[in-house]
Amino acid sequence: MTRLPAFSFAFLALTALAACSQGLTEEDVEARAELRAREMMEEMRAAESERTAAAPATGMSQETQSSRLQQVRERGAVLCASNNGIPGFGFIDDSGNNVGFDIDLCRAVAAAVLGDPNAIRIQVISPMEMGATIQSGEVDMLVRTVTASTSREAQWGNFTVPMYYDGQGFIVHRELGITSALDMEGASVCVAQGTTTELNLQDFSNLHDLDIQAKTFDDTDVAVFSYLGEQCDAFTTDHSGLFAYRSGFDDPDDHVILPETISEEPLAPAVPHGDERWYDIVKTVMGIIIYAEAYGVTSDSVPTAKTGDSAVDRMFGLEGSFGQESIGLSKTVAQDVIRAVGSYGELYERHLGSGGIGIAREDEGRNALWSAAPCADCPKGGQIYSVPLR
Amino acid sequence: MSTVNTLLTYEGIPIWRHVRVIQWMLQIVSAIVIVALLAWFFTNIGNAVQDRDIPFGFTFLDREYQTPIGEHFIPYDSSDTFRYAMFVAVTNTLLVAVLGVIAATALGVVIGVARLSSNWILSKVALVYIEFFRNVPLLVQLLFWLFIVLALPPVRRGFEIADSIYINNAGISFPGPNSGGSFSMTLIWVAMIALGIALGVVAHKLLSKRELVSGRASYPVAAGFAVAAGVAALSWLALAAVGDAPMIVTSPEPAGRFGRIAGGVTIRAGLLILLIGLVIYTAAFIAEIVRAGIQSVGRGQVEAARAMGLSPMQALRHVTFPQALRVIIPPLISQCLNLTKNSSLGGAVGYTDLTNVGITMTQTAPAVSIFLLIMLAYLAMSLAWSVTGNLYNRYISFERR
Repeated sequence: MTRLPAFSFAFLALTALAACSQGLTEEDVEARAELRAREMMEEMRAAESERTAAAPATGMSQETQSSRLQQVRERGAVLCASNNGIPGFGFIDDSGNNVGFDIDLCRAVAAAVLGDPNAIRIQVISPMEMGATIQSGEVDMLVRTVTASTSREAQWGNFTVPMYYDGQGFIVHRELGITSALDMEGASVCVAQGTTTELNLQDFSNLHDLDIQAKTFDDTDVAVFSYLGEQCDAFTTDHSGLFAYRSGFDDPDDHVILPETISEEPLAPAVPHGDERWYDIVKTVMGIIIYAEAYGVTSDSVPTAKTGDSAVDRMFGLEGSFGQESIGLSKTVAQDVIRAVGSYGELYERHLGSGGIGIAREDEGRNALWSAAPCADCPKGGQIYSVPLR
Repeated sequence: MSTVNTLLTYEGIPIWRHVRVIQWMLQIVSAIVIVALLAWFFTNIGNAVQDRDIPFGFTFLDREYQTPIGEHFIPYDSSDTFRYAMFVAVTNTLLVAVLGVIAATALGVVIGVARLSSNWILSKVALVYIEFFRNVPLLVQLLFWLFIVLALPPVRRGFEIADSIYINNAGISFPGPNSGGSFSMTLIWVAMIALGIALGVVAHKLLSKRELVSGRASYPVAAGFAVAAGVAALSWLALAAVGDAPMIVTSPEPAGRFGRIAGGVTIRAGLLILLIGLVIYTAAFIAEIVRAGIQSVGRGQVEAARAMGLSPMQALRHVTFPQALRVIIPPLISQCLNLTKNSSLGGAVGYTDLTNVGITMTQTAPAVSIFLLIMLAYLAMSLAWSVTGNLYNRYISFERR
């Protein structure tokens, strides 16, 4: 009985917490966030008008400089939140370097703003930390196979250009003879606790009346191991992850990755809210990588003298401008970027395609370019696209 | 009043050195410190929640959960609410806790007694068991059992005994009551079984007393079991006659394209692994508690019992153990609490316990609110064990002289 006071005290404290929390509902929080966003907008607008008012007097140009760009240049490195555990996107290679598609996107930005692709610092984070890391603005960029979505755009930061279209899929044992996810009636599926993986699985099962039995694990590796031990008929995660895991299996040919994707996962680098210029910079660098492939330019064939194709010459700073200097980049920024990391096609091939984890890149597949060159009659039919460099 | 007067007229040592004043001051100071700390803690949480727009609130409880729960023992559908899904998760954890505590106590007592056996091999085996399983982290042991179970053949190539028992790495299936019948009928039946057990206990009590008084063999244990089983069987027949049978006994058999076992009772791998791991781990601690309890009983007690002609087993059962229980019960309760709390590792081996479901819930609902509820649920379960254990402890210490 002597313990009773202590218990009742703890209980009272918890009830009190629950009671005051009741006052602060989710709606309240949303309303408050909206109010704060509006206040920030007003502050920014006020600052903007001050600046434009001051500009004619001092003779300064109307361009606003990116404060983050200044920070990055003073620091001498681009800080990227990424990963070291996903083959193809960001992982430690045999010689101990962190390499991958995501890492190269960070290197491209470093090449653009600092002229040195190696001037990067990678902060390895877990999926749980993604929101807080980019919200706080402690990193310049979040490139960690992160799916863009409207609510994340509202809460986390701004998403730039989708650089890979992913989606949740299934891998099954070949001996089952399944070729479509729709054949999985009554199957047991191993799943790791992910952002919305289980939710998508349930939606898919309900939609097609498949009665799929989910087997949920805390840890992805244990879930994969259970799948390999045939405790489950299938394993589900994002397609890119399925290919990455299969590339590590002892007998990859005994497993089939089903063609269906059951969710939309456009992976796009994100930047913190509140610095539009920095957002423009990262977006432009992604555009450069994409258009290099469209124009057939690779890291070995970066033009340094006029080619006669004015679109190519404009992109590589040999003629005119596509606005690169207005956002604080050098005239020949595209040369630096492509020399450092190569075009989108090269990047894909090196990390995700046959040189990497083996995700075939088909014409008209989602991760093909929209068009081979900016012309009307040569579309590739994919979804990789950026606004024109003009 | 007299205290105040005493203090006012007191002319000896200074007032601040008066023992009662010091005691009171200490109480007041510690109360202030505790209240201030708690206030700081909760204001801090409140501020952080506001500053970072961390969603908080309990409106989500009425929303549809829309996410699978891998294993559940009461009906669950993805269109059920968060509130109900959380209840399902609590029943999952409770199942592990109750089964685990019963099995771990039984195993622990056997090993504790074996540890004190005069049989050298038995005693050393028990010693090795205790030292090994007590000193390896539980999570490592659980993963070990997971890998052992995974080494069994998969469901399509699993062992099959007499067309009715299936053993494979997805679990063990055997003929038994399947929840094919109506759920409300099943609930009524479970209530009837509880009543039967209560009646059985009463019968056991009465017959034991009769045996003690009259000296005639009255078979209290057998009678108790017979009463409980009889009530269960009769109520099943009665319910089946009234409407749907509460539980229908079926045989398991492979079904569907994937050959998953349907029908009968299946103990799925996740539950099996978690139970094996928790029971073996906790039993090692319980064995030590039992050993200490038995050794706390004076040697003279055993010698006296033997001198009166009791066999070693009878001496243990009627003389040593009842006295040891008083020492055993309090630490045993804390092992029950540990087992219940350790079941939160279920997610590591694919069992949807309360914590595992809670983590999944945070993907679609406010994490802080969910974990507050989960903490309260574990607190409630732990307090329930404590209360039960303390009541039992009071009951057995009643005859102390």
